[in-house]
Amino acid sequence: MLTTDRVGGSALCLLALFVIWESRTLPLGTWRNPGPGYFPVLLAALLLILGALACMMGGGAAPVTGVGWGEAGHALVILGLGAFICLALERLGYRLTMLSALLFLVWLVEKKSLLAAAAFAFGLAFGSFYLFDTLLRVSLPRGPFGI
Amino acid sequence: MTRLRLLLAFLALAAFIVLAAGYPAVAQEPYPSRPISLVVPFPPGGVADLTARPVAVAMEKVLKQPVGVVNKTGAAGAVGIQSVATSKPDGYTLLLALSSISIIPEADKLFGRPPAFTVDQFAPVALISADPTILVVRAESSWKTAKDFIEDAKKRPNQISYSSSGIYGTLHMAMELLSHAAGIKLRHVPYAGGGPALTALLGGHVDALASGPSVVLPQIKAGKLRALAGWGDKRVAALPEVPTFKELGYPEAEFYIWAGLFAPKGTPEPVLAKLREAARVAVADPEFKSAMDKLETPITFKQGAEFQKFFDADAHRLAEGVRKVGRVEQK
Amino acid sequence: MAETLQSLARGFSVALQPAVLLYAFVGCVVGTLVGVLPGVGPLAGISLLLPATFGLTATNAIVMLAGIYYGAMYGGSTTSILMRIPGEAASVMTCIDGYAMARKGRAGAALAIAAIGSFIAGTGSVMALMLLAPPLANFALRFGPPEYFALLLLGLLVLAYMSGGSMVKSLAMAVLGLLLGMIGIDQMSGFFRFSYGVVELGDGLGVVPIAVGLFGIAEVLATAGQEVPPKVLKPKLRELLPSRQEWRESVMPIGRGTVLGFLIGIIPGSAHIISSFVSYAVERRLSRHPEEFGHGAVAGVAGPESANNSATSGAFVPMLALGVPSGPIPAVMLAALMVHGVSPGPLLIKQQPELFWGFIASMYVGNLMLLALNLPMVGIFVNVLRVPYSLLYPSIIMFCVVGVYAVNGSVVDVWIALIMGALGYILRKLGFETAPIVLGAILAPMIELALRQSLAMSDGQYAIFVSRPIAGTLLAVGAALVLLNLVSWMVRGFDWRKRIPLDEHGENL
Repeated sequence: MLTTDRVGGSALCLLALFVIWESRTLPLGTWRNPGPGYFPVLLAALLLILGALACMMGGGAAPVTGVGWGEAGHALVILGLGAFICLALERLGYRLTMLSALLFLVWLVEKKSLLAAAAFAFGLAFGSFYLFDTLLRVSLPRGPFGI
Repeated sequence: MTRLRLLLAFLALAAFIVLAAGYPAVAQEPYPSRPISLVVPFPPGGVADLTARPVAVAMEKVLKQPVGVVNKTGAAGAVGIQSVATSKPDGYTLLLALSSISIIPEADKLFGRPPAFTVDQFAPVALISADPTILVVRAESSWKTAKDFIEDAKKRPNQISYSSSGIYGTLHMAMELLSHAAGIKLRHVPYAGGGPALTALLGGHVDALASGPSVVLPQIKAGKLRALAGWGDKRVAALPEVPTFKELGYPEAEFYIWAGLFAPKGTPEPVLAKLREAARVAVADPEFKSAMDKLETPITFKQGAEFQKFFDADAHRLAEGVRKVGRVEQK
Repeated sequence: MAETLQSLARGFSVALQPAVLLYAFVGCVVGTLVGVLPGVGPLAGISLLLPATFGLTATNAIVMLAGIYYGAMYGGSTTSILMRIPGEAASVMTCIDGYAMARKGRAGAALAIAAIGSFIAGTGSVMALMLLAPPLANFALRFGPPEYFALLLLGLLVLAYMSGGSMVKSLAMAVLGLLLGMIGIDQMSGFFRFSYGVVELGDGLGVVPIAVGLFGIAEVLATAGQEVPPKVLKPKLRELLPSRQEWRESVMPIGRGTVLGFLIGIIPGSAHIISSFVSYAVERRLSRHPEEFGHGAVAGVAGPESANNSATSGAFVPMLALGVPSGPIPAVMLAALMVHGVSPGPLLIKQQPELFWGFIASMYVGNLMLLALNLPMVGIFVNVLRVPYSLLYPSIIMFCVVGVYAVNGSVVDVWIALIMGALGYILRKLGFETAPIVLGAILAPMIELALRQSLAMSDGQYAIFVSRPIAGTLLAVGAALVLLNLVSWMVRGFDWRKRIPLDEHGENL
C-alpha cells in the first residue's frame, strides 16, 4: 500500500544513495582529519536510516492518492511559468518577462478580462521595476532596446 | 480557441524578441558612448569594493560616461571573474580583480576540474594598488621580532598556528611563501574570510596572521597586535620600523594583495589605450587620492608593459606556491 | 553609571538633530521595505545603499545603515504573518504560527505583537549594548571553533523541538537540510562539492532561495489551484489589537527572546538567523500548551520576533567595542566607517564618543520610529488579505522572483528557489515539515567548518573540546539535555502504557 510516508521515505533513501555515489570522488580523510567527503557520506548514511525507518513505520499514514492532488495541474503550470521567467529574465529583461508572465497568469490561467489583466500586469511589472531599480538601486536586467 | 491562438502569437513574438536580442549590435560610435560596468567579484564593503568605487568615480570624470560598480559575488571571486571573461570584449564591461585572479585557475588545475576562467582571457589595463601583507601576532605573545618567530617555528614545527581567509586564498598563499622561503612548517587553520581570520587572532585561537595593513593598523595602534615583518619590496609607509622579509634574507617571500583593472581579451586596442589613459588620469585625481588615504591603501600605479611584467611575475610566484601546497588531503 | 547617563545625554543631543533624525528615519523606512519584500534581507539592503552613504557624514551614514538592519527585522514579520512568505531568512519561524494566527482571523493581533515585541527587544538590547559592550565583547572573542561547534551542536538539538509531527520525519528533514548545506566549496580543502560545474553554486544554495522557495513559492503552489480559494477575511478594527489573554501569553516569550537573541547576536560569526529558531524551540519546550505550536500559538510569534531584533544589537557589540567585523553586516558597516575616515578599532568608543553615543541614542529613537510606523500600518497591511487570491498570488510570485534575484543579481538563485518551491510543495503533500530543512541548511556548513577547524587547531586531538572551559560547559549542557529527554521519554512511555487501561475503566487521573 502506497502511503505518503512510504513514498517520502523511499525517495529519501534513493537520494541518500545518490549522495554516497556522488561522494566517491571526495577524499574521506580520517577520524582525526575529516576530509570533504566525510560529512556528506555520514549525513547520507543517516538519511538512509531515517528514510528506511519512515518507510517501515509508514504503513499507517494516509494513502498517497488520498491526499488530494487537485491543484497539482495548476502548480505545474506555475512551475512551467517559473522556468520561463528564469530563462527569459536576462534575455528579455525584467519588465518584458514579468509583463508576459503576469499577463499569462491573470488573463489565460485565471481568466480575467484582457483589459484588466493587461492593466494589472503592466502596472505591477513596470511599477516594481521603478521601485527596485530606480529607488532601491537594485540593478535589474534590461532587455532588447533597453527595456 | 482564440485564446490559444493569441497565446501562440504572443509566444512567437517573444521568441522573435529573444532572437533579436541575441543579434550582435552594430555599434560604430566612438568609445565610450554608453555607461560602463565595473564588475567587482567581491561583496560590498570589502577591500576590492572599497578600492573600486573611487576608481569608478574618478574614471567617470575622464571618460564622461557613467561607470557603475556591479558586485557579482561568489566562490571567492570566481563567479564575477568568470562573468567578465565570457562577456563581450567591447570595453563596456571591466573587472577590478585582486591577486586571486592568478590563484583560482591554478587551484582548479590542482583539483583536475575545468577552470572557471584562465588568466589569458583578460587584457590587463592598469594596476591600482599593491598592498604588501604584513605578519602580525598578538601583543602579549613572546615573539618580538620576525627572527624570534622564525627560529621558534624551526624549533617547534607544526606547533605555531595561523589563520587565513580561506584555503588557497591571498592570506594563505602569503604564509606559504614565507614557510617555503624560511624552511619552516606552520599549522594552517582556514577561516571563511579576512574578518573571521582577524577575530580568531584577536581571540587567541591562532598565533599569527598574514594580513593587509589597512585592516590591522587600528589594532596595532591600539596596542593589541604587533607587526613583525612585511612581504613587500619596501617597508609599509605607516609602519616604518617594520622590516621586510627581503631585508631579513628571504627574498622569495614577496606578496602583495593587489587590485588591478582588467578588460576581456579581444577588446580593441584603441579602447584599451583609452582605458589606460583614463586610469592614469584617474589615479592622479586628488579626490581619488584622499579616498585611498582614508582607506590607508597606498596607490601603486603601473600600466601597460610594466603592469604586464608585475602581473606575470606575481602570477608565476603564486602558481608555484599553489603547486607546492598541493592538495591538502594528500598529505 | 552617572557617566554613562551623561554620555547618553550627549548622544541624544546628537541623535535628535534634524539631519540625524532624517537619516535614521530613511534607514528605518528602507529597512521596513526591505524586510517586507520577500528574499531581500538586511544584508542586501545595506550593501545596495552603502554607496549612497559615501557623501554623508560618518554619523549619518552609520545611523542610516543601522536603521536598515533593525528595521528589516520589524518588516520581516509582515509577509510572514500575512502570506506565509518569509520577508527575510530570520522570519521563517514567524511564518508557521503567525500565518496560523492570520488564518484564525488574528492577523492584526499577530502583527501588533510582532511589532511590540520587536520594540521591547530592540530597546532592551540597546540598553544592554550601551552598558555591557566592552566586557561582553571580550567574552565574545573567546568563542573560537571549538566553542562554536559545541554551541551549534546545541542548536541542532533545537531541531528536535521544532515540529510536532513524527520525530523520524522531522529528523529526516533536518538531515536533508544538512545535506543541502554541503553543496559548495569546502572551506578546508578547496574541493567543490556537488556543484556540477555551476560556479554560482560555489557558495552553496543560499539561505534566501531555500527559505523563499520552501515557504513562499511552495505556499503559492499549494494554494493557487484550489477549488475553493482561501477565504477573504475582513477583520474589524476591534479585532486588530491583541486580546488581554494574548498579551499575557506574549510577555514572557518577549523577555526570553530578548535575552536569548542578544546573547546569540554577540557571538562573532554566528548567523543571527539562528536566534529566531532557538527562541521558537525554547518557547515550545517551556510552553504549557505545546500542542498549540504550529496552529497559532502567540508565543511562537512573540519569541522569535523579539529574538531576531535583539540579535541585531548584539551583533553591534564586537563591532563597536573591538572594531572587529563579527559578521557580514557589521563588516559592511565597518567599511562604511573606514570610508569616512573613522578607523574602527578598540579605541572607537574613546576616540569617537559622539559617534558611539549618537549611534546608541539614535537606535532608541529608531526603535520608537519603527513602532510608530508599524503599528498603524497593521491596519493597512491587513487589507492585503482582502485582495482576491487570483490577483494576489501572481504578485507574490513576482515579489519572490525580484527578492531572490536582488540578493546576488543571479538567475541561478531564482532557479534554486523554484526547485525548492516544487520540493516544498511535494513535501507538504506527503506530510513532511519543511522548517527543519532551512535550519539544517544554515547549520551544516558552520558545524562542519567549526569541527574541522578545531581539529586543525589541535592537530587532530578531540580533547580540545573538553579542555577548553566554554566548549566543555556547552557540551555538558547539551549532553544533560539529551539525557533528560531520554529519561522523560522513557518515563512517559511507561506512564502512557499505564494510562490506557485506567481510562478504559473510566477512572480519572
